[in-house]
Amino acid sequence: MAELTADQEPVPPLTIAGHWDFRYQYFAGDAASRFFHELGNGRIMGTLCPQCQRVLVPARGFCDACYVSTTDWRQVGDRGRLETFTILASRFPGLPDPPVVIGYVTLAGASTALLNFVLGLDLTDVEAAATRLLAQPAVEVRFRDQREGRITDFFFQLADA
Amino acid sequence: MSSSPAGAAADSVQKVYVHGTAVHRSWADRSASLTDLIFSATRTALERASIRWRDIDSVVLGAHDVTDGRSLTSMVTAPAAGAYLKDEIRLGEDGASAFVLGTAQVRSGSCGACIVAAWGRASESDPDAVAAALFDPFFSQPLGLTEITVSALRAGAALARYPGYQEWRGPAGARRRAAAGVEARRPAVQLPLRSGELPVWSDIVAVAVLSAQPGPVEVRGVGMSTEPYQVGDRDLLGLPALSQASGQALRSAGCAVGEVGVLELDGLTLFDEALALEAVGAASAGDGMRVLAQRSDINADGGFAAGYCAPAMGLVRICAAAGRLTGGSDLALATGSTVVAAQGQAAIVLSRNQGGG
Repeated sequence: MAELTADQEPVPPLTIAGHWDFRYQYFAGDAASRFFHELGNGRIMGTLCPQCQRVLVPARGFCDACYVSTTDWRQVGDRGRLETFTILASRFPGLPDPPVVIGYVTLAGASTALLNFVLGLDLTDVEAAATRLLAQPAVEVRFRDQREGRITDFFFQLADA
Repeated sequence: MSSSPAGAAADSVQKVYVHGTAVHRSWADRSASLTDLIFSATRTALERASIRWRDIDSVVLGAHDVTDGRSLTSMVTAPAAGAYLKDEIRLGEDGASAFVLGTAQVRSGSCGACIVAAWGRASESDPDAVAAALFDPFFSQPLGLTEITVSALRAGAALARYPGYQEWRGPAGARRRAAAGVEARRPAVQLPLRSGELPVWSDIVAVAVLSAQPGPVEVRGVGMSTEPYQVGDRDLLGLPALSQASGQALRSAGCAVGEVGVLELDGLTLFDEALALEAVGAASAGDGMRVLAQRSDINADGGFAAGYCAPAMGLVRICAAAGRLTGGSDLALATGSTVVAAQGQAAIVLSRNQGGG
């Protein structure tokens, strides 16, 4: 039987490729399902916390700050201020080609901020675009003509665009 | 040395000491597997602690399956961290949270000596793609949220509210650029964040060895807290979970942040570090970036720019704090933030044990 000693000729380190590709089906649950259904109707809905009276958007079944179930539904407005943003420079599957702007907006009547794409902005000079967005401009919701009950059924657009 | 809490009553509360630490940073070292790296760092920490492996009672691990690319990764990696036939706790959290649990085990008297280990190997995957998978599939993934993206959103909010952040980001970032590793290992720029403000990905293993026996550094206080999952619900600038966790740690240690000489605060980017300074009370609201620019002793190794990979970083900061205490300062505060996008925070107050150990 052959023996190996510590001073053997080194061998090339082995590297093998790995890839995870499992299939899942995610259940949105009642609250989110209704939220997405209402997007299809061109409405953005939140749920009311009976304790802190916040209107939580996107709608959810409970308030994690008060730890109680939400009760009533509220439609929120279609305008707000761009509270913060970033310009995505990386290409991700399912996303438009970069540069892409996403940002958080607390819509009128909502208590929490909602994330979505910010479209209609000239991005040929991203530094100039970033400077403009840092001023936290007013934005409004625009629904797409073809809606499929997903968060991407709408986007934000600068109100003065 | 004996590691068991000999002579202690079953209901007594033990003091907890850090006896040895190790932080190993590398990048795509093809001669070492992940378990090789974990074993090497753990052996180093045990040697520095002068504690034999057979005297270790328990092991607490901080690791992420998706970061490691191994389903239930601790099944594969735990023995490399010394867990064979030991009491073992596996956390899908930052290493600072693992350190808190390890402290609790020793303090409760349920074990005498404990290994805490955390790691991440960014060179084996794409950290941005892994981070995207952490977010929910309904509201966040379709819009491209990642850990870096949320930090960029946080930076945008800071720049909009605090004029000092624009004024001081250059000087603060320059110090981080000087300490930085390889530029190619930074993620793609996401405005308003700039390249020098982004982390340098790294392969990192951090290990701390705790014991009830007196040692050079004592664990004086710990705290943990969690924010809402939804980023739109959060106070992106106030980091309330970090304020609460650090406040809890300082109160249990019986000291104020002003008495703390060593600050080691986990932050994914320059802005996260600056805002963390404000959250723990070491800077007033809006002044964190200036303080970060003017105090080179905060995250003295270069912080996020010295090499970053979740979920090791909280434990990296704790190890750095313990090392700096033995160099002269009396009190240290270290923090670690955990997924997703600093939703969870842990804080630890350490003190130099005047009696040594």
